[in-house]
Amino acid sequence: MGTFEQMLATPPSWLDASGPTSNVVLSTRVRLARNLRGVAFPARADRAGLERVRDRILAAASAGNYLAGALVLIMDESSQSQRQILVERHLTGRGFAEDGHGRAVVIGDRELVSVVINEEDHLRLASLRSGLQPMDAWRLVDRIDAELEQNLHYAYSSDWGYLTSCPTNVGTGMRVSVLIHLVGLVRRDRIAQVLGSISKLGLSVRGFYGEKSTALGGFFQISNQMTLGQSEDDIAYTVERVAGQLVTLELEARSELAEKGGRKVEDEVHRAFGILTSARIISSDETMALCSSLRFGISEGFIDSVDLATVNRLLVSTQPGHLKCFDARDPGPEQRDRMRADLIRRELASGSGA
Amino acid sequence: MICDECGRPAAIRFVEMVDGEMRLMRLCDECASARGIGLSLTPLAGPLVSILMGFLEEVGAEEPAELQGPVCLGCGLSYKDFRRTGKLGCADCYTSFEDELKPLIRRIHGSTRHTGGIPSEASEDVESIREARHLKLELEKAVRHEEYERAAELRDRIRSLESTPRKEDDDGDV
Repeated sequence: MGTFEQMLATPPSWLDASGPTSNVVLSTRVRLARNLRGVAFPARADRAGLERVRDRILAAASAGNYLAGALVLIMDESSQSQRQILVERHLTGRGFAEDGHGRAVVIGDRELVSVVINEEDHLRLASLRSGLQPMDAWRLVDRIDAELEQNLHYAYSSDWGYLTSCPTNVGTGMRVSVLIHLVGLVRRDRIAQVLGSISKLGLSVRGFYGEKSTALGGFFQISNQMTLGQSEDDIAYTVERVAGQLVTLELEARSELAEKGGRKVEDEVHRAFGILTSARIISSDETMALCSSLRFGISEGFIDSVDLATVNRLLVSTQPGHLKCFDARDPGPEQRDRMRADLIRRELASGSGA
Repeated sequence: MICDECGRPAAIRFVEMVDGEMRLMRLCDECASARGIGLSLTPLAGPLVSILMGFLEEVGAEEPAELQGPVCLGCGLSYKDFRRTGKLGCADCYTSFEDELKPLIRRIHGSTRHTGGIPSEASEDVESIREARHLKLELEKAVRHEEYERAAELRDRIRSLESTPRKEDDDGDV
């Protein structure tokens, strides 16, 4: 079984920019919400009940092929910094990391798949893939679901499908979300119009870290709103198609930006690169904005000494929780800004596209 | 989907809390921006982003049981409590609050019928129920179009599906 430190030392595969249209879409996540039959949902269960559910799910996970060797984290025994790191790596939501008994997370090799236990629902299975691949992510999570089902009985009704704590997830329990970088559309001032039409297609838009986070640097999460009345394939296909259209629009906007902006845009990208490779103190927000420019510059061919995967990794490894883990004492914001600058210089020096 | 304010085609829907009551709104772009929840300026600040923000707000205190409406027999959750938290207590809530949930679920998803995956243990059972339901719709259509031969054929298939003995649920209830 892997350890937390091993997980931390290995960058998640969804950041490696190997998937389709990685220059625009960072990653695709598919999650399924499931509950055990005959047991109250987590919000109405007592501590002993939650722990029983947790242990049943952990036993089922270790009995299958996909999760047998996976890292298991019991939240009651996890440190604050471990919890923060899970949030920053998009493995759990912020609320999950904060409190609640009987919670656990199972994390597969290179964070390709995960199971979050006793959050809002008894279990949430997720698959995270690089680039735009909703279908592949769905098929993978479906196989794990089928495997777990051999040892677990799910709450299910023939009318309403998989029953979930919140009626917004009932039916398939499936949420497909795509982490997408729309810097071109933001810069061309077309983002409001484009995102407006997305909501008409039944999709919703959030920021890099979920509901309350802002869309810093033009990073957005697009996901299906409805989970009932459509098959899983249809949901995955809809998100794939809409995100595909967004990719086309974004690439057009980027070319326009590069053409019309000419030398000025090229200059901006190189200045961003210059700051990232030289700064001694840098905030999280500035990092996000400059990495956004850098991703644009790489995609448009202005910069070829760094690859996309390196920049993607920085988006996560420069978050506060990740920086803290380099130092046992909590460094505090000022020290963190220094550590962040050091880390970025180091990574960009070694991250030249081999 | 029609805008609740002006009757034009709606662009967004969201749930808001008014005096502790959950209310689903459908709005067009203009009416949404007029309420300060449009996309135009801050794409991520509006409730479009989180259909459930309003759901999650804690409003109001416990009320006497007789005012709480239906109560789930499985876990004791009152519908009133569900309206307050947005979270159901157990699988039985879906049966206990069926009448109340149906319109809500229809507004959220535009549908009240699952057409996706089925747990493998339930496959046979549910598949035949769904198949029969599908055939009944076909049957109605056939009768409407006066295709009586086809209707008879459909009727026989529905009968045979519904006469197949169903597995007993061995996992107990909540």
